[in-house]
Amino acid sequence: MFVTDIRKEFYEVVANQRVALLVASDIDALCACKILQSLFHCDQVQYTLVPVTGWQDLGTAFLEHKEQFRYFVLINCGANVDLLEMLQPDDDSVFFICDTHRPVDVVNVYNDSQIKLLIKQDDDLGVPSYDDIFRDEDDEEGGDSGNESDEGSEPSGKRRRFDEGAVERRIERQRAKREWEARRREILFDYEQYEYHGTSAAMMFFELAWVLTKDTKDMLWWAVIGLTDQWVHDKITHMKYVTDIATMQRHVSRHNHRNEDEENSLSIDCMRISFEYDLRLSLYQHWSLYESICNSSYTSCNFKLWTLNGQKKLQEFLADMGLPLKQVRQKFHSMDMSIKENLREVIEESSNKYGMKDIRIQTFGVHFGYKNRFLANDMVHACAALLESAEKDDGDNFINALDSLSRSNLDRLHSGIDLAKRKLIAVQQTVASCICTNLILSQGPFLYCYLMEGTPDVKLFSKPMALTLLCKYLLRAFVHSTRNKRCKLLPLIMAAPRDVEKGTVIVVGIPPESETSDKKNFFGRAFEKAAESTSSRTLHDHFDTSIIELKTEDRSKFLDALITLLS
Amino acid sequence: MFCEKAIELIRELQRMSDGQLPAFNEDGLRQILQEMESLYEQNQSDVNEAKSDGRAELIPSIKLRHCCLLRNQRCVAAYLYDRLLRIRALRWEYGSVLPANVRFHMCAEEWFSQYKKSLASFMRSLGADGLDITQDMKPPKSLYIEVRCLKDHGEFEIDDGTVILLKKNSQHFLPRWKCEQLIRQGVLEHVMS
Repeated sequence: MFVTDIRKEFYEVVANQRVALLVASDIDALCACKILQSLFHCDQVQYTLVPVTGWQDLGTAFLEHKEQFRYFVLINCGANVDLLEMLQPDDDSVFFICDTHRPVDVVNVYNDSQIKLLIKQDDDLGVPSYDDIFRDEDDEEGGDSGNESDEGSEPSGKRRRFDEGAVERRIERQRAKREWEARRREILFDYEQYEYHGTSAAMMFFELAWVLTKDTKDMLWWAVIGLTDQWVHDKITHMKYVTDIATMQRHVSRHNHRNEDEENSLSIDCMRISFEYDLRLSLYQHWSLYESICNSSYTSCNFKLWTLNGQKKLQEFLADMGLPLKQVRQKFHSMDMSIKENLREVIEESSNKYGMKDIRIQTFGVHFGYKNRFLANDMVHACAALLESAEKDDGDNFINALDSLSRSNLDRLHSGIDLAKRKLIAVQQTVASCICTNLILSQGPFLYCYLMEGTPDVKLFSKPMALTLLCKYLLRAFVHSTRNKRCKLLPLIMAAPRDVEKGTVIVVGIPPESETSDKKNFFGRAFEKAAESTSSRTLHDHFDTSIIELKTEDRSKFLDALITLLS
Repeated sequence: MFCEKAIELIRELQRMSDGQLPAFNEDGLRQILQEMESLYEQNQSDVNEAKSDGRAELIPSIKLRHCCLLRNQRCVAAYLYDRLLRIRALRWEYGSVLPANVRFHMCAEEWFSQYKKSLASFMRSLGADGLDITQDMKPPKSLYIEVRCLKDHGEFEIDDGTVILLKKNSQHFLPRWKCEQLIRQGVLEHVMS
């Protein structure tokens, strides 16, 4: 059931208890976890934090901890599947689920005792009404069958007349039941067909902190990062992002309001969050402007930087703005102040000429200490690079990424930024090579691309978030580079080798690229059905149902099944 | 040269300056004591000779030997006292039951048990029920701390009976006093955010 008063029904319930936190591996979950942890530290609620990467992990963690804990908080996992059936908990276990995955499973919505959803109900959920899906056992059926046996044993003249009436009624009831079941199947199919994302979990927990008036600037910053993560990884629509930014802006101005009166009231080490209408160039303040333009998907796709023409256009663009190449190629911090002052406006003007109308985006930046300025974007990229670093295993990565979100672990953040730069360069190069060698094939109802094993940096793309990012950039680049009008509206499926010894590939499907796309992904169900029909050996372990693991040998028959399914 | 053995003993202790206790150097000590004995006997005989025969030229060598004897005494006393201090520090570090690898090097178990007893009786005398002063060596900032598990340690019970599963890379928010032992053993790591 949905929790209406998050303070009374969640926080005050767990305040004197011990809680197990099961946290999924994405940045929004990490931020939400940080916020909840600081609230728990404030109130000395004992907890245990366990990172989980997929459904199997969740099951194992639950089994290990179910003896010791009664209350479980699941962050960014568990809403879109029938949790009680999957975990088989005892009757006194209570689950608090704060998950951005939609659609929320109907059993989770209508279970009153064990499952509490920390989700806003005005998030266009469209949950079917109770009567459409659930139906109590018909008592009349029992009565009818009783009559039937009576009639069977003693057919007499009088009974025969009742016979016909009873039989008719029974037939009518059965027909009604079949109709109801057919309608139920249809409703459920429509409801569960598309997968999408709702409000950020970090924002939900920040709201909880705000209701408790225990919110701090750190928590606000984490909430902003959680929201930005949803935007960077293309999980929410632009409209929703702008609306949520407005909500956050209110909180930011409330926090900044205290310092407006006195000039030098805050020490330089205090944290300041400010609203920025900043450029859509990834990591540009920690890199050189030139590199950032080359490796950000927005600019690279609009200029088509994988072609010679594109490179020339870029040079023209820089010349148009009056930025000397020497300046633009050195580190951003060392650029001349005269250039840095009006950089954003200058770039916006010039990019309008080149067809890039939205080069600036609303976001937030943080400033603490003399040289520490970060945009929310930068933090998301750094954290994501740390979370999926190929060098360490999952547990260490989770810890590193979690630590990098604290202000006191700046060296980890900087190492994350370096990893993120390498990742962006790798993505850019892979996109360029895929487009130039025409690796994207149109299979009819969708586009398909397979990364061969020997591709450079392919290890980076065996992780789901990185592969999804690559997929989105690739689709955007493809849409800009192809002339085939029909292909521009197709979704993309991408496969990359995941584990060479086990012989598996990871397959990701994303919806088609369009200005007004609602980011609803139907590949979850499609993958399930295709796997069933071809009995391919698949592992639907990831919390996003559109990401699966598949045995390399079954790849071709799986794809054929998908083609027939979707055409 | 005289007193070299004594210096060796001191150097041995200095090498392990981080509070570790090296094995008790019985041999070295015996050699020093033998040296002291022989020096003393030589001195005795020389003193008798000097007194009886009036040979004043023996006096410098008597003085030298006497100085060596005093130096040896100081060195041995310093050696034993330093070991004592280290054993005392072990009690504060590890608690009243020492792990096996530490006890291996000690030979003065008696002194340790006496010290333990007197510390325990002192602690009992403080306050109504006694106060354990070996906990919280530095003033704690908070009652509960956040710890991260560095290796699989299995189940761990805390005061109110609840059991926690310590698995690698899980983080927990636990009462400070329960975690101190495990932090010292290296199973948990205090996370400062």
